[in-house]
Amino acid sequence: MRESTLQIVNYVMIAVLFFTVLLHLALHGFFGFVDYEGSLVYSDVVTRYRQTIPAVMLTVLLISAAFHGLYGLRNILLEFRSGPVWDRTVSYGVLVAGIALVGWGMRTIVLTAMGG
Amino acid sequence: MADAIVSVEPARKRRKSPVGDQVRWAFWRPMNVEKLALLVQRISGLALLVYLFFHVFVTGFVASGGAAWTGIMEALSNPLTHLGEFLVFVGVIFHGVNGIRILLLELSPLVGTPARPDYPYKAQSLGRGQKSILYISAVMTALAAVSAFFLLFW
Repeated sequence: MRESTLQIVNYVMIAVLFFTVLLHLALHGFFGFVDYEGSLVYSDVVTRYRQTIPAVMLTVLLISAAFHGLYGLRNILLEFRSGPVWDRTVSYGVLVAGIALVGWGMRTIVLTAMGG
Repeated sequence: MADAIVSVEPARKRRKSPVGDQVRWAFWRPMNVEKLALLVQRISGLALLVYLFFHVFVTGFVASGGAAWTGIMEALSNPLTHLGEFLVFVGVIFHGVNGIRILLLELSPLVGTPARPDYPYKAQSLGRGQKSILYISAVMTALAAVSAFFLLFW
């Protein structure tokens, strides 16, 4: 994928991340709307995973956070050194890390939504 | 002629440390608050990425049932974890608001218009508009720190 395309995708992910992170923090009591300890009770957590909108929000948050974070890490690493081998190693490294992260997160979301 | 040379000392090689270079650059003259903000932006971004992996791993326990979830929550219910959550919340707020400033510098007229480079060479992109957002991000980070302190430690 072209670097300019990746940067545009990153801008979209940032916009998505901005709203989903705020919602996520709000759902866990960081803005005082709900009880922090209460939001971590098992029944409440499972309920969130089994409702469509929160589950979709968690999925979107997971994908956008993984992309933005790993894309940023890739940019930092590519600034340190240059060369085709380093470029390929870093790019494939963050791709594998991203697949592992999103894969594990999706496994949690799907298994919990389907009943654990 | 070569005999006159007593010793040839090789040029001292500077040890390359990418992290050290970044920190040195941030504190190198001319110092400005934007360079420090970029350093903090990168450090907070990397810390949040490490936290993201940890967070996704821990939340995976919810799929293993109530006992596993309660067990991991009890194991993580200690002051050290609360300190970590505090730093994550503060880091998210700074990274987010300062990130908006960087986005506006990249995508909006906030970057400034080109001007003739007269002494003392003020960069057009380091104007008051973006600096005010940087100060807002610092104030919001401080407010987030106070809010998180009361939420997690009070």
